[in-house]
Amino acid sequence: MDDLFGPLLVGCAVALASAIGVVLARRPIYAAIFLLVHSLSLAALFGILSATMVAVGQVIIYSGAIVVLFLFVVTLLPSGGRELGPTGSRVAAGFIAGGGLVVALAAALAASSPPPTTSGDLGIAAVGRSLFSTVLVAFELTAPLLLVAIIGAVVIWRRHEPAPRTAPVQKVAEARRVVMHR
Amino acid sequence: MSSEGLVLATAVGLFAIGSVGALLHRHPVAMLMSIEVMLNAANLLIVLGARVRGLADAESAALIVLVLAAAEAVIGLGLALALFRRKLVPDIDEAAEVRG
Repeated sequence: MDDLFGPLLVGCAVALASAIGVVLARRPIYAAIFLLVHSLSLAALFGILSATMVAVGQVIIYSGAIVVLFLFVVTLLPSGGRELGPTGSRVAAGFIAGGGLVVALAAALAASSPPPTTSGDLGIAAVGRSLFSTVLVAFELTAPLLLVAIIGAVVIWRRHEPAPRTAPVQKVAEARRVVMHR
Repeated sequence: MSSEGLVLATAVGLFAIGSVGALLHRHPVAMLMSIEVMLNAANLLIVLGARVRGLADAESAALIVLVLAAAEAVIGLGLALALFRRKLVPDIDEAAEVRG
């Protein structure tokens, strides 16, 4: 696998840089563009790691559906998604959590030895066979999951819908007042 | 550094960057994007495991995680839009609708 080091290095560098861009972008529209670059670089990494099916899924589901959904939502936001600056406590919490995570995960990685690489069939046919045999239940359950997510999004949206305008009621009251003043 | 080590370190870095972003941002949509970065880091680890062990089942798991990410984004964005569509500058700290 070490002959793949060069392409992997490029993919990892782009993925890390675009992730930093997602976090540091001051406007959500730029963050969404960085997220698109991030997802495409991850698709490239999946392709290099010979996970062709996941790479295709990443491009179609992630870049094609999720990032476009984010872009739609950002355009629907009032004032293009302006954001308040982070408070001091948030900055402190963020960097403490990030630093702690890096230290803990790096310690875990340093303590473990890399497993021996075993070769197996990772082609699209093998993944398809696995989807319809070993993980069939989980795979089939994703269909009701998506359905429930769609229905849930609609229900959440309808529940918080603003109250209907009161213009007709005002007209009725005005008409009554006219009648009373006669 | 081996290739596996490089991808592992990238996944660790992506997860940490995502968690920093989720804590830094006060805009719900920007926060969700950082959470998506964390999810992608986990998926990268699953795919690396599939490659190292030569298991097609792990790749199927990565595909299912992608679908989960789609469902999570739909619900999260629906909540963000529903809660904050009347606010000009949304702040995640103001959301207290489910306070007990």
